[in-house]
Amino acid sequence: MSVIAPKFRLGYFLKGIFDNAFWILTIVTLAGIPLIQIVLFYMDLPVIDGELLTAFLAFTWLFNPTMQVPLIKSLLYSDLFRIAAFPGFGFAALIAAGTIFVERKMLAKLQLRVGPFYCGKIEGLLQLAGDGLKLISKEIIIPAKADKPLFWAAPVLFVGTAAAFVALIPVAPGGWVVADLDVGLLAVFAVIGFFPIITILSAWSANSKFPFIGGIRALHQMVSFEIPLILSLLSVVILTGTLNLSEIVESQSNFPWIIFLPISAIVFFTAMLAELERIPFDLPEAESEIVAGWLTEFSGMMYGLVQLGSYLKLYAFAALFVIIFLGGWTGPMFWPPLETELITTGTPIPNFKGDPVLTVFAPGLPLFDKDPNEWVLQEQGELQYTSGQLLINGVIWFVLKTVAVIFFILLPRGVFPRIRIDMLLHIGWYKLIGLAFVNIFIALGLVYAGVLGPGGIM
Amino acid sequence: MSTTETKSPPKDPKKETTPEKVEDTAPAFEKSYVDQIANQFSDDVEVEYIKENRTRLNVKKEKIIDVAKFIKDNTPFDHAESVSGVDFPDEKEIGVTYHLGSYTDPAYSKQVLALATRAPREETPNPGNDSTKLPSLRDMFYSVEFHEREVFEMLGVYFEGHPDNRRLLLPEDWADLPPLRKDFKNKGR
Amino acid sequence: MAEVIPTKEMPPGLQVENVDDRIMTLNVGPQHPGSGHMRIIVKIDGDYIVDADPDPGYVHRGEEKMAESRNYITNIPHLERPVIHDSCNILYPYVLGVEDLVGIEVPERAKYVRVIAAELNRCIYIQYWLAIYGIFLGHSTMFMWPAGDRELFIDLMEKISGARVTHAYFVPGGVRNDVPANFEDVCLRQVNYFEKRIKEYGDIFYDNPILKARTEDTGVLSREDAIRLGTTGSVLRASGVDYDVRVKEPYDVYDELDVHTNVLKAGDSYARSKVPWLDMLESCNIIRQALEKMPKSGSIRTKLKPNPKGGLDEVYRRVESGRGAAGCYIVSKEKPEPYRLKLSVGSFRNLIALPYLLKGEKLGNMPAVYWSLNYWPVEADR
Repeated sequence: MSVIAPKFRLGYFLKGIFDNAFWILTIVTLAGIPLIQIVLFYMDLPVIDGELLTAFLAFTWLFNPTMQVPLIKSLLYSDLFRIAAFPGFGFAALIAAGTIFVERKMLAKLQLRVGPFYCGKIEGLLQLAGDGLKLISKEIIIPAKADKPLFWAAPVLFVGTAAAFVALIPVAPGGWVVADLDVGLLAVFAVIGFFPIITILSAWSANSKFPFIGGIRALHQMVSFEIPLILSLLSVVILTGTLNLSEIVESQSNFPWIIFLPISAIVFFTAMLAELERIPFDLPEAESEIVAGWLTEFSGMMYGLVQLGSYLKLYAFAALFVIIFLGGWTGPMFWPPLETELITTGTPIPNFKGDPVLTVFAPGLPLFDKDPNEWVLQEQGELQYTSGQLLINGVIWFVLKTVAVIFFILLPRGVFPRIRIDMLLHIGWYKLIGLAFVNIFIALGLVYAGVLGPGGIM
Repeated sequence: MSTTETKSPPKDPKKETTPEKVEDTAPAFEKSYVDQIANQFSDDVEVEYIKENRTRLNVKKEKIIDVAKFIKDNTPFDHAESVSGVDFPDEKEIGVTYHLGSYTDPAYSKQVLALATRAPREETPNPGNDSTKLPSLRDMFYSVEFHEREVFEMLGVYFEGHPDNRRLLLPEDWADLPPLRKDFKNKGR
Repeated sequence: MAEVIPTKEMPPGLQVENVDDRIMTLNVGPQHPGSGHMRIIVKIDGDYIVDADPDPGYVHRGEEKMAESRNYITNIPHLERPVIHDSCNILYPYVLGVEDLVGIEVPERAKYVRVIAAELNRCIYIQYWLAIYGIFLGHSTMFMWPAGDRELFIDLMEKISGARVTHAYFVPGGVRNDVPANFEDVCLRQVNYFEKRIKEYGDIFYDNPILKARTEDTGVLSREDAIRLGTTGSVLRASGVDYDVRVKEPYDVYDELDVHTNVLKAGDSYARSKVPWLDMLESCNIIRQALEKMPKSGSIRTKLKPNPKGGLDEVYRRVESGRGAAGCYIVSKEKPEPYRLKLSVGSFRNLIALPYLLKGEKLGNMPAVYWSLNYWPVEADR
């Protein structure tokens, strides 16, 4: 005779219920109520249709179809959305996931195999999700004599730093950037400077030989390649006279800087590969020499976080290359130019009841709704576009260029073997720095000859 | 051994340098270099057989260094291909055979000279500390280094003068008989 | 650089050492992606290797001991286990030796079939070796291409012998069974296709400037040292010594075929990695010649008596395997089992060069030098 719960006792059952109720009440009292109070009293709540969006209103409007669109629109313009979703983390993570998929499939095609194939039915689309689930479900093993706080902090710090890098990248015109700083490029350098510190800290805290050698290699590599990285971008700063990344992009509306500064672009690209630890510069993770370098002791999702961070970093570097050398989001418009009245008043449609008016705005849709405060008419030369059109056009161009740069970052992995640390440092200190200086003089020459800069073409 | 064959007629003592001609006068050619060694050490070297391309000399263990030195200096044999230990429990001896070859002289490229010697064997071996010892040929033929280490662990023959008489293939905690001795029985066989 | 003195003679791995701040001891292997089934105890001073001590034996199976309790026929399947990728070549000296001991002749067709099978196996082995050399240097394409093209020859060997890797195809007196009916055409087609692929390997790998910069002038083994250390096979030929057992001491029908020996002078890792690649091209030539000259029909096996016995004799036969000369020394005492069987294999003979070459190299060169020695850990352990 089988029963479902052989040792069932009413007393234990009641005790379980009371226990759960007690803990729920305790947690709600200690954490939930303060959270609600913080939301109510300290956060800036948006005003929608003349009413302050309180928690009560938000919950009510969630179930009111007519109020959902304003609610979403208000969310779109909030800082949280920028940080977590569009120009920030979510967008970057999406591109990073795409990068991993493309990397696997492209490398597979190059190497005459199929790559991920079964998971997700279509060409292994869900392989990455499967890998992520696997990593989450695995045990995290920490070396016995590791410095535990540092060891735990390293992957989180790595992702955090990569996300900070992503936050500095402007994606579309109209200030679509998480942090629009006047010293944007300097901030980028500052953030890049954190990576070797995190790497060497995690390598040291693991208290193991192979991570230590890998960490030392990573330190050498990143520090020595930061110098040509910074020097190669200096020439662009000389030409544009600004450190703000959005302004650097706008300075390239006629031609990208790669036309005038090809050496700078080559130096930056090479230094970028080394900073990203991509093949042929993947010495910190050189498998056949030092197992997995500074990642050797990471397991489970700690490893997954480091991988996530490194792919976010890959996206951010590729985007930086696009912003500085390839003109960012500038590019020909996909849209036809619009007549002014189509935007302002609308064209009446004849032979229909009630005199309907055709406009470019689709009422209800967040990006196309007509809202005189947000969606003002923008003029680009003689053509006229709405800012929604400019946003979408900009994002498409930006993503296309970024994907192209990412492709060229991935390509060497199928073509080159790994190089040695002394050759790497030789390249960094002798060749790239020399080329970067040559490039600075070219930039100065262009400015003082009056070809570019205030008196020249610009 | 019963199949020992000593092809006698020494025709032309002059050395041939091309492999094709060696083919024709093979037994004489082998005899020439074996005789050169055997004459030098008349009492201590026993010619076991001279076959086509393969010859074997049995040397007493006291003289093995001298013979090896002579071979190294006066014949083109320059490396050891293999060092094989053979256990002879009935004769209470362990044989060690060095197969020597030549890379430098094309005329000798076919030849393999087996240089064999015997070490005394003990019933209860204590590798390294019993009488099963032989002088090492590492100074003459550097290439025997790892082979002699293997013979040491597999048969318990200690090579005196070898700089590195450690275990090579066997695990560090191996405490049984040296496994290639005949009294080490395979389980189930 | 301070001297590190072992305080007591201890087995590898258990030495007590003077602790020195400059010297770090790394246990590379046996569970290291860059070691194979062996351990190299490497002492590094900064990026330089000051001492390297190879410690093989993790896959030691006692093949020689096992052979003493099995008869000449039942020895065949287990003797090929040390190198299952090159199983025909590792079995070849044993089979030749047993034929000498028992005194039987091999039919002409069987000799050609053996040569073809041995050369196919050499290609299979070298492709596997090349794949691992690629991944050791971080070149993942060079891992995938040979590992995929290997399938061509594995399929061919499967057609011949029925097994994909452990063929047990050679037996004393010939080969186990005849080749299938359309084998010549299929083999010729695959070999012709494969020759094109080999040249593509050259384009992506051997002409790669980074590979050249990494492997040239690293781990240089001079001609004198190569002879003194008794190295063999591709290591020897890369150091400028013209020695190939197939040419110098032809067995079976190699004397009727035109075999070219690939010799490079440099003696560095690049030359050592290039010689096997050239050997694959040469193997294709040999297979083509052998297919042309092979008798179209005839016996492929001389039947042995049941439980064949050798006399009171000994025999030492050599062949050129994928890793160098493979010798088999059989002592027979009028029993169905060999009294003593010794495999003198290329990997074991080349291992002695490893500590010699690694000293003074950079740590990053370790995989390049190590694997360029054409070393197969399982074979060295036997």
